[in-house]
Amino acid sequence: MTNPIFWVGVLTLAAIYASLAMALNVESGWGGMWDLGIAGLLAAGSYCYVILTADPDLGMRFAPGLSMWVAWPLSALFTGLVAFAIGAPALRLRREYFLITTLAFAEIIRQLVVIQADFTRGTLGIPNINRPFDSFVTGRDYNYVLLGIAVVAAAVMYLVTRQVGISPFGRTLRAARDNEAVALALGKRVNRMRIKTFILAGVLIGATAPVYLFYIRAISPQLFAPGITFTVWTALVIGGLGSIRGGLAGAFVLIVFTEAVGLIEVDPSHINILVAIEPFLVGLLLVLVLRFRPDGLFSERSAFGAGNRAAGRSAGDSRPAGAAQGSGG
Amino acid sequence: MELVLDTVRKTFGGVVAVDDVSAVMPQDRVTALIGPNGAGKTTLFNAITGFDPPDRGSISFGDQRIDGLPPWRVAELGLIRTFQTPVGFTTLTVRESLLAAATPHFAETPVGALGLSRKARDHERASGDRAEEITAELGMAELLDVRTDELSAGDRKLLEFARSLMAEPKMLLLDEPAAAVAPANIGRLSQLVRRLCDERGLGSLIIDHNLSFLMQIADEVHVLDRGALLASGPPAEIAANPDVMRVYLGEDGAEGEGA
Amino acid sequence: MQNVVFGIVTGSILAVATLGFALVRQTENFLNIAHAQMMALGAFVGVVLVDTYGMNIFLAGAITVIGLGALGVVLSAVFFQPVRHQGGTVLLFTSIGLALMMYAAILALFGTQARFYPDVSGGLHRFAGIGIATNELVIIGLAFGSIAALQIFLNSTGLGRAIRAVASNDDLARVRGVPVRTVSNTIWFISSAFGAMAGVMLGVLGAVNTEIGWHNILIVLAAAVLGGLRSITGVILAGLLLGIMMDVSALFIPTAYRPVVAFGVLVAVLILRPEGILSVQRRKDAVVA
Ligand SMILES: Nc1ncnc2c1ncn2[C@@H]1O[C@H](COP(=O)(O)OP(=O)(O)OP(=O)(O)O)[C@@H](O)[C@H]1O
Ligand SMILES: [Mg+2]
Repeated sequence: MTNPIFWVGVLTLAAIYASLAMALNVESGWGGMWDLGIAGLLAAGSYCYVILTADPDLGMRFAPGLSMWVAWPLSALFTGLVAFAIGAPALRLRREYFLITTLAFAEIIRQLVVIQADFTRGTLGIPNINRPFDSFVTGRDYNYVLLGIAVVAAAVMYLVTRQVGISPFGRTLRAARDNEAVALALGKRVNRMRIKTFILAGVLIGATAPVYLFYIRAISPQLFAPGITFTVWTALVIGGLGSIRGGLAGAFVLIVFTEAVGLIEVDPSHINILVAIEPFLVGLLLVLVLRFRPDGLFSERSAFGAGNRAAGRSAGDSRPAGAAQGSGG
Repeated sequence: MELVLDTVRKTFGGVVAVDDVSAVMPQDRVTALIGPNGAGKTTLFNAITGFDPPDRGSISFGDQRIDGLPPWRVAELGLIRTFQTPVGFTTLTVRESLLAAATPHFAETPVGALGLSRKARDHERASGDRAEEITAELGMAELLDVRTDELSAGDRKLLEFARSLMAEPKMLLLDEPAAAVAPANIGRLSQLVRRLCDERGLGSLIIDHNLSFLMQIADEVHVLDRGALLASGPPAEIAANPDVMRVYLGEDGAEGEGA
Repeated sequence: MQNVVFGIVTGSILAVATLGFALVRQTENFLNIAHAQMMALGAFVGVVLVDTYGMNIFLAGAITVIGLGALGVVLSAVFFQPVRHQGGTVLLFTSIGLALMMYAAILALFGTQARFYPDVSGGLHRFAGIGIATNELVIIGLAFGSIAALQIFLNSTGLGRAIRAVASNDDLARVRGVPVRTVSNTIWFISSAFGAMAGVMLGVLGAVNTEIGWHNILIVLAAAVLGGLRSITGVILAGLLLGIMMDVSALFIPTAYRPVVAFGVLVAVLILRPEGILSVQRRKDAVVA
């Protein structure tokens, strides 16, 4: 349809959301930590990257002007640190209290970005973020480069999270999620393990943040309102919370669907409707999936190959290697 | 080595659930803990294993004080308990549950998840073999790949027991391991408990209402009544104790039928 | 002192909003994230009735509150009833979906321009050097009037007592033959009406924009948690306290920190309660069950 560059952009965005959803799945799907603070972690990683690489001429108080290849891993580590600072106290709480606390922390981070305008340029934002390889490839063609970066990032994310999922570590995480008391009775250091998982998710989200920035090109605090957290969650719920492929599939379904509907021609006088379409569709999909397919497209059960008495097949893990590249490209 | 309770007390509001209990349970013997419903048996387990620390009194295992330690620490010292209500790791299969119980700490980190350590892989393989052995002995080999929440209550009880064996126990604390278990499997269970004790020196402290099961395998029996220790001694002596009979037959006849 | 007065006004509005939220939390057992969108919707419907149709503010407020109360009943039947059996987390995420849809509806219907209620402040009164506008007095009066009316309703009517029975133990209430359906509809009506009322009040005092819902959900969550999700008096006190703290903090730190203060207090209270709130209890449940 329309213009291939449009779809390249859509797929890029889908790959970015897929990365975030897969990272979320590690802590929420397997770790059972219902984190509503994705936006905060993404903000931490994004601002860390932007500040470290910003042009000193922008007049920010701290602008070391680091190379993006140095700033990228530093952002991931910094986000892991922020996750630790949030997780250590928040993980003492359970269920909805944990959820509220993470949501509140995310909002605190966003407000801090607004307030600390010396460092972040506050609501002014920072335009024209540098992107890798943009001196070699210019103009419209750069969109293909960006798609490549996002797909590679999503593929790496898929392989990393899959490895976590099928490892003994992932198994113990799921065990502790199912029954904390039993895990404790077996000597599992449940809390320490959860904090590590929370940090891991932070690192993964922080590593994705620069890719998101390359796509967005300009950063401002509004980007990190709770809306983005809900979108990532919706992608994961649609795909299947706790399954290995869920976040990947859910993000592509959600983003392609919402962006495609955005293509419908709307009279300019109805611009409001255009703005409203995306949140409406995200909300509608979330409601419909929860109602009619609460396990999502791929269930956790299918991911971990639990047979049943009748089937009695062995618990070989499903081996969907390569699926990431397949649907990502 | 032994598990030693010294005037352990636990109250809930006004209810004295465990009333100054003192007892010594050798780590390499089978000890039974019996008593009518609500006697405080499970509460005592919770106190020993750190889930619900005692109000006062001391608990030690070997030369280590364990009261006040968190549950995972008590488990690390080798005291592995099972639960009266066998919920388990609902979405894990029997095999996964058993493997999870055996996974060492060093594999349970994000870096360990990368699977680079040869030691972890060898451990995993050995655990897999052990899981198959144990389930075979308990007659549940064909259930290895069934999800825990699809097991019958009896099979889940057996899984509680199997799982605790996977966690390198020094002593087992079994809360009603025979409840809801099919009679044929109770036989296997009691044989295994006895054999683990005789051949490997792995003792247990067992709560159950099935007295015929307990009397067969126990070396020593403690009777708890309304939180307090009523009698202690070898099974034959306990069976002949009129106080014990009164507690069981007089107040809770149904439970006493097994004796 | 002036800021304490502002704080009391903010706090009364917050108490009204949070009470509606807590009522659903207690009876339907989930956190209804869409509640704050009901506030936003209330602010918009009110401003349209007053500004576009030239209606009297009290009439407009009454129509908004009753109309959105009814809408709340319909939405609960369409969105929440069908997934009720699936438990709290599915309901919570359904409410996030509903919140997004309501937000979209607000964007589509009212646009992204901020709107304002015509000036209805009605003059300033001074008591011992502290100023308070008539509309602020009316808001405080209405807020506490409605809360008192709710209390009376819950304590002295059959339906009110049935609601309290459901709040304390759903299963028991069902067994005893409480009309669960009627009770549920009433709860949704009250909850949504309270949300809408808080929205109109917020609108009267400030600008009406599409982001009101997202801004307020956290503050409402904070007040609900601080107040303890199960106590009406607690919720009122928490609402007032939070309102006062936010407005008084403006004296010492930039007003931009206002929401940070609310969330900071929330996080501090959650974390400083040494035993955590649910962690220990849940652990025990798992053991004793
Ligand atoms: N968490 C708790 N809060 C309040 N009371 C409790 C709690 N746990 C146990 N109790 C009370 O303590 C007493 C002992 O209960 P416990 O579960 O230890 O008995 P039990 O001997 O294991 O009984 P059963 O044979 O039925 O399992 C009972 O009166 C019980 O109601
Ligand atoms: Mg018991």
